[in-house]
This record gives sequence, structure tokens and C-alpha cells, in this order.
Amino acid sequence: MKKMICLLLSVLCLFTAVALAADSDTITKNGKLIVGITDFAPMDYKDADGKWIGFDADLARLFAESLGVEVEFVEIDWDNKVLELNAGSIDCVWNGMTLTDEVLSAMECSKPYCNNAQIVILPKDKAALADDADKLQALNFAVEAGSSGEAVVNERGWNCTPVKAQSDALMEVAAGTSDAAVIDSLMAAAMVGEGTGYENLTYTVQLSTEEYGVGFRKGSDLAEKLNAFLKDLYDKGTLLETAKTYGVEAALIAQ
Amino acid sequence: MKLILEQMPVVLNSLNIGFLQTVRLFFVTLIGAFPLGLIVCMGTMSKFKPLSLFCKFQVWVIRGTPLMIQLLIIYYFPGLVLHKNIWGSGETGRFTAAAVAFIINYADYFSEIYRGGIQSIPVGQEEAGLVLGMTRGQIFFRIKLLQMIKRILPPMSNEIITLVKDTSLARIIALQEIIWAGQAFLKGSQGISGAIWPLFFTAFYYLAATGLLTLGLGALEKKLDYFR
Repeated sequence: MKKMICLLLSVLCLFTAVALAADSDTITKNGKLIVGITDFAPMDYKDADGKWIGFDADLARLFAESLGVEVEFVEIDWDNKVLELNAGSIDCVWNGMTLTDEVLSAMECSKPYCNNAQIVILPKDKAALADDADKLQALNFAVEAGSSGEAVVNERGWNCTPVKAQSDALMEVAAGTSDAAVIDSLMAAAMVGEGTGYENLTYTVQLSTEEYGVGFRKGSDLAEKLNAFLKDLYDKGTLLETAKTYGVEAALIAQ
Repeated sequence: MKLILEQMPVVLNSLNIGFLQTVRLFFVTLIGAFPLGLIVCMGTMSKFKPLSLFCKFQVWVIRGTPLMIQLLIIYYFPGLVLHKNIWGSGETGRFTAAAVAFIINYADYFSEIYRGGIQSIPVGQEEAGLVLGMTRGQIFFRIKLLQMIKRILPPMSNEIITLVKDTSLARIIALQEIIWAGQAFLKGSQGISGAIWPLFFTAFYYLAATGLLTLGLGALEKKLDYFR
């Protein structure tokens, strides 16, 4: 038993003693860039063959190519993105991530490349409420915990219920357990209205605008590399072209 | 309703893939936890004090903390604390980590059930065996084990059925089991977005699985009925 414990402890020490190399070296050594994503059209989603495509996925593939490594997409639980990065199970978060203060302080972030907005979702028959700020104030909002939607609602001092995901916020409105939800405009466009499970919901006023960026481990040299890479793509026109493929060209930010 | 019927083939396909992962985790956990539970049980009952104390302490820690936290610790700690992610990033790594967490957790619950079973066998049987010149190993495997299995079957059935549903906790480390597959359609996946029903539909899969298990375990109980 004692021998076992000694052995275990010495193995522990060995691991901790391993020095941390530059991030780009680690990735070259592993031969792959592991990108943490969620299923989030039009940024990262699967095509009919099960291949990851989308504005973010295509760019990540090009970026990995420029580094001379393979790209690997891994679906993560969005709440655990910082954990995943620091634990080394992913190398970057590239999934329409809003650059909030929390994200900027926990990750090494690229320059913003895409615009987004927080908008109010209401049942269709109550859409008129959005025209009147006083009436909005009286509603109970469902928001994703830790999202920028939550921040916006709190800033205004509105009543809100934090839920686990933006999609849960929509379910709250559909089920009538909340009066309204605040979610990303890019997401709302894909999830609400005809042909979705939320035909009775509609999007109304825009509360605030924000920007999307890519997050790397704190202190990683890859963020700088990505900035240079995106600038190069922008100058060549590839960035705009890719954005047009997925209908997000209006949101693109000049590099 | 029409919309649901249109979405049905894609959703079912995706739920089936998720459920396969659920089933895999279920069986791997059982295969690992049955024997490990016996080892922990022997450790707890050992006359060697340090070993039995260690086992009891370990059982207290595992039974005293939520399985969800154990999953997070087992998957993320090696990378966070030791700077070496031993599991790998993909689905296989997540599955291995989840399986390890589930096996340890369930082995500890099993070990206590085993202990109850073993201690319920009258001491007289062990004494009789010793008088006949049997070794302790022979006494355990030839006399006690089968009686113990019969006695612990009902509480074990309980744990096994709980395990089917507990597998859903593995989604916290992004293991793509059936709940994850159902939730994916809430947000949007494979061209279906904002669909609420797939998540609730997963309940039928669990019901079917626990139904089959209930029947199987009931039959097993009947089979062991001949000795009382």
C-alpha cells in the first residue's frame, strides 16, 4: 500500500514538472489543432455527410492548414469552455463567441471578426409589447446564464430568470413560463419563425451590439498568429467570400 | 404534428446513435463495477486495519460527493493540475473518463450491497466449512457466493436501473449520449432547429431500457428461487 502511494506521488510530481512549451509548438508537435465548438448554425454545424461546416468551421480549417496541421472539431459543453481550454482537451474556442469581459480575462482572444446583437424574443401575439419600453420592463425575461443577454437585461434592471442555454430560454417563452427571452440575433434568425419548433415566437427590438472573437489558452501565441492570418484572408477577399457562403457578410468586421 | 413526422427520421437516427453511447456506457460500467465492487468490499472487511480504513474512507468520499462533480474532476483535473490531458479530446477520451468515473462510483455502492449480502450468511456455515477442512477461498466461492447473489439481487436491480438513467450525467463532460442528442435539436442540428420534442422523446428510450431490464432481472430472481 505504502509503495503504491509513493509511486503515485512520484508520478504526480513528474507530470507537474513538465515545462509548458509555446502553444504553437505544442500544436505542431501534436499535428492537430483541436477546435472546441457547439452545434451552432451558421457558425459551426454538420452537413449531410456529418462533416463540420459553417463560417467558423471553414475558417478554422483554413487556419489549421496555414499552421501545417490537421483540424479536429470537438463538441463541448459551452459552460465548460474555459475548463476545456486549460485542461488541454481543446486548443481554441471558435464558435461565435461573444468577447465579454469574462471571456477576455480568461482567454487569449483574437481581434473581433463578426458583429452580433442581443434581441428580444416575444410570442407573436404579444410582439407589440416591444414598442413600449415601460411594458417591456414589466415582463419576466429568460436569459442564458453568463451570456451577454443576461448582462444587458441586468443592466436595465429587468426581471430575469437565468437558464442553462439560449435554446432553453426560448423553450421558457414557448411554454409560457417566461414572458420573453433575450438571445443572439444570429441564433434567433436560425431558430425562430416558420419551419422551426418556435413558429409562434418572433424577434423584436435590438438591445445591444457586440463582437465575436476566437479564444485561445491564456498566454498563447496563436491569437497573434490568427490576427495576422485573418488580416491576410481579408485582404485577399477570402473572408468576405466565406461569409457570403453562410449569409453573414453583413456582420463581418473589416480586419 | 406534420412537422414532427417530417423530422422523425433524422431525429430518430441521431437519438439512436446517442442511445448506443448510453448503452455502451451502461454495460462498460457494469462489467467494471461488478468485480471492482467485490474487491472494495473485501478491502472494507479486511482485518488489516490500514486497508479497511482506506477503503471505508474512499467509499465515504465517493458516496458523499455528487457523481457530476466526480465526472468533472476525473475528466478535467489531469489537464488542469498536472498539465497533461491523459484522456484525449475526442469522443473516445470523454467516454473513457466517463466510464472510469461511473465504474468507481458504482463499485462503491455495489461494495456496500455485497457486504450486506456476505454478512447476512450465518457464521455457522463458515465454521462448518472450516471443520470440514475447506480453505477460506473455497468457503467463499462454493458456499457463500451463490447464497449472497440471491440475497443481493433486489437491491442490485435497484442500482442497475438507476444506472441506466444516471448515464445522462455524462453529458456534463460533453459525452454525446442520448440526452445530448435530444438537446442538440433545441438549438439546431442537421437542418432542424428549435425542435423541442426530441428532448422529451428520449424518455421513451429510457423507459424501454428499464422495462427490458426489469423483466430480465425478474426472470433471474425467479431462477434463483429454488434455494431459500
